[in-house]
Amino acid sequence: MNALAVKSGIHSTIKSTVNTVAALRGREFSAYLTETRYELVRMVRNPSIAIPVLVLPLALYALFAFVIGGEWIAKDPSAGIFLFAAFSLMSVTMPAMFGIGVSLATERDMGLLRLKRAQPAPPASWVVAKIMSGIVLAVVSYAPIAILAVSTGKLALAPGQVVAMSVALLIGTIPFTALGLMIGSLTTGSAAAGWANVVYLPGCYLSGMFFPLPKSMYWQAPIWPQFHVEQLMMHMAGVTKMQFEPVQMAIATMLGYTILFAGVTIWRLSKKD
Amino acid sequence: MNTHNTHDQRLHSLDAVRGFALLLGVAFHAALSFMPGWPPGIWAMNDNSPSQFLSDAAFVTHIFRMSLFFFIAGYFGRLLYQKLGARVFWGNRVKRIAIPLVVGWAVLYPLISYVWVTGITKVFGGTMPPMPEMPKVPGAFPLTHLWFLYQLLLIYVAVLAVRAIVARLDRAQKLRNLIAKAVNVSIKSMIATFTLGLPVAAALMSLPLWFYWQGIPTPDQSLIPQIPASVGFGTAFIFGWLVHRSSDALAAITLRWFQNLVIAIVATGWMLHTMHATPMAAPGLTKTLYAMIFGVAVWAWVLGLTGAALRFLSSFSATRRYIADASYWIYLAHLPVVAAFQVWVGHWPLHWGVKYPFILVASFAVLFLSYHYLVRPTFIGKVLNGRKYPRKPEPTDHSPSPASPPPADTANGGPVALLRGITKRFGAVTALNTIDIEVRRGELLAVLGPNGAGKSTAISLWLGLTEPDAGSVTLLGGEPQELARRRGLGVMMQDVEMPKELKVRELVQLSASYYDDPMSVEEALRRAGVTHLADRQYGKLSGGQKRQAQFAVAICGRPKVLFLDEPTVGLDVKAREIMWISIRTLLADGCSIVLTTHYLEEAESLADRVAVIAKGRVIASGSVDDMRAMVARRQISCESTLTADEVRTWPGVVDVSRDTTKLNITVTDAEGVVRRLLASDALLARLEVRQAGLNEAFNELTREAA
Repeated sequence: MNALAVKSGIHSTIKSTVNTVAALRGREFSAYLTETRYELVRMVRNPSIAIPVLVLPLALYALFAFVIGGEWIAKDPSAGIFLFAAFSLMSVTMPAMFGIGVSLATERDMGLLRLKRAQPAPPASWVVAKIMSGIVLAVVSYAPIAILAVSTGKLALAPGQVVAMSVALLIGTIPFTALGLMIGSLTTGSAAAGWANVVYLPGCYLSGMFFPLPKSMYWQAPIWPQFHVEQLMMHMAGVTKMQFEPVQMAIATMLGYTILFAGVTIWRLSKKD
Repeated sequence: MNTHNTHDQRLHSLDAVRGFALLLGVAFHAALSFMPGWPPGIWAMNDNSPSQFLSDAAFVTHIFRMSLFFFIAGYFGRLLYQKLGARVFWGNRVKRIAIPLVVGWAVLYPLISYVWVTGITKVFGGTMPPMPEMPKVPGAFPLTHLWFLYQLLLIYVAVLAVRAIVARLDRAQKLRNLIAKAVNVSIKSMIATFTLGLPVAAALMSLPLWFYWQGIPTPDQSLIPQIPASVGFGTAFIFGWLVHRSSDALAAITLRWFQNLVIAIVATGWMLHTMHATPMAAPGLTKTLYAMIFGVAVWAWVLGLTGAALRFLSSFSATRRYIADASYWIYLAHLPVVAAFQVWVGHWPLHWGVKYPFILVASFAVLFLSYHYLVRPTFIGKVLNGRKYPRKPEPTDHSPSPASPPPADTANGGPVALLRGITKRFGAVTALNTIDIEVRRGELLAVLGPNGAGKSTAISLWLGLTEPDAGSVTLLGGEPQELARRRGLGVMMQDVEMPKELKVRELVQLSASYYDDPMSVEEALRRAGVTHLADRQYGKLSGGQKRQAQFAVAICGRPKVLFLDEPTVGLDVKAREIMWISIRTLLADGCSIVLTTHYLEEAESLADRVAVIAKGRVIASGSVDDMRAMVARRQISCESTLTADEVRTWPGVVDVSRDTTKLNITVTDAEGVVRRLLASDALLARLEVRQAGLNEAFNELTREAA
């Protein structure tokens, strides 16, 4: 065998190895992609879960910003920001809690999770698909509120600030997605929505998201994830009179909650039964 | 034997926890030169790059590290006391605790003083400021970090005194057994997490000047016992002692490790938040609340970390053993070393993120080296750890680390899936009891047995969904948890609903995306006989059609092993035939199949081998012909004067039993036995001969298994 043949032999071996590796990684990637795609397909085909989640925050925002709080906003533009923050936060967190959490719990009941764990599905593909579809739902739910607020002048902010606030919101969906997953992983399909309400609704009120809190209740506000997302938004919007904690603290707490909720979820889902 | 092992495992984990608490102390002290806002002179050095992060991290470790230490000390205290008796116990404690305290102090105090003077002079720019005098109160004494040994000795005295009184009053051990039970229940119900901190919380609340950051104030300035430390660490020690007394307490701690850690993290997060707002509060609601939550955090950390160690670190590890042995020396000796490095790097123009790791690495290097060469092989090691290790350990020192087993031969005829010596319990129910099953390449193994026999559990083990309590599971030459192994399997489970919104084609496509070399979707659909259903949504299929769709999902990845759990339930005759044909095609392609079924004719038609499971045991296994032979048995019953023992010796008789009037004989040769019965017993009456079915064969075997 001459040197040239050896060389080309080595060359083709390397080439085929590289191809195999690329194909395998591509395979994994395509599993993630397929999973996410079908998660979205399911959402579109079964809109009964998505619609209330999409419509409710928009309707409530319209009610408060135009009918109930119209004069208040006219007097104090920061009230407009406050209301926008409250309902846009609701619009992005509800899909995370109710869309993702409840569907996770239902599918656990169905035994689908057991099947996925037995199949060679990449371990995270299913959860990633849920999170991605949750984010899509959140964007779809948030966009109308943002358009309504900006186009009617109820949001007295520079375009850059609106973008920054939107980014903060998007980041804010992460701990709630983790919370939704945690509830979904701990409860059954029929109980998940109830638990999600129990965990989610008190936070909406007690965090000062829907109305400003009296001073005597300040001590408990930091317990609720809503508070920290709101704080991040207020920093992004530059509303100093509604900033109660430094921006680092808000981010750190959101991160902490995400780790906690995700940790419980991973622990629960990986628990052998 | 067994209890001895678990006992050892527990000691491994608890040793690891104690080592962890001590080494954490080194990391804690190493952080103290970086504390933001500390006035110069409090510590040996004030670094020019302070860190809020290190301050918070130090605070977190400081919440629990000493309580954790005293908790473990309590556990080992009672262990030792039970083992050695009072007299030897005290001798041992003098050697291990009192001598290191006295000798250690004498050696370390001058070193520590020297480093401190050097450091503080450096901080003040070259001139030593006048040092504050030790307070002129009775008992004042600079114990340094060795205070914990002094505290430990005090606690030993107090606890053994109380123990003596209790032993005298409670001769029947009624009270003590009750307490042991309460300890167990309180851990399991998590009451312990929330109540054990109450005494220390009360002690802390009453402190006029309580900086939140300091937690339990360190009693290193006086020989007079300080109330918060004595209460806090005393509680920890006593509870550790009681945990050793209660037989199930460690199991309860193991059970609750995660819940406790979650509570610990939440409570700690809240404290950090509050502390940042006000580092020291006036008496009032916040201070009370803070003290209470501090108490909860202490115990949540202690129980959570101990539980986690029991859960995850119970196996022997030579590295952990070494570190645990070294930790005592390292903690005793660390302070001057750590402080010297802090002083050295204090004015370097570098970020704390560089300097702190440097201090840690350098200190640990010095300390471990000193341990390895000066302590472990010498009398110091013998005093501190009770044994001296020769420099070269004997080859049989400890069990060797288990070498990774060679991959099973799956090339030709070797098993592709293997359960060996498997035991699996669910609570009090033993689902599988030391069973062995193997599946060979290209064969179909039918697993039969009544409901609840353990069939599905066996399959769950192969799928990696469950872990055995004992024994080993092999799938395609490795562990079923490895993704690479699972890429070779296909599965059809019971009681699974697929997403109802997706079409059959989409379900198959989704599953195919998990595999390296799947079939085309069309082929999988064709083989499963569901081509005509391809574009129907899963939720709109009938029960049988759903099973067919699941079969397509199971086979689409060209599996090497296919697990089919009751695949044909609910199928009509035609659909079942299609599935059988497909199964035969897969077998011909070299796929191995494990099939559980209730339908005996299904097993008969498809299986190469059959395994019968009942009550968690494999009660029969063999070829289909072997099973047929079992079916060919017949059952004779009659009233006869012959004894069972007599009949048992006859050819063709498998089993004989006698109830009050009747003789029941299981036979393979009914005609021969009947002829002989009639010949031997003229009075024989009420003769009956029945065919024994496979079911009967199972029932019989099941009874034998019971």
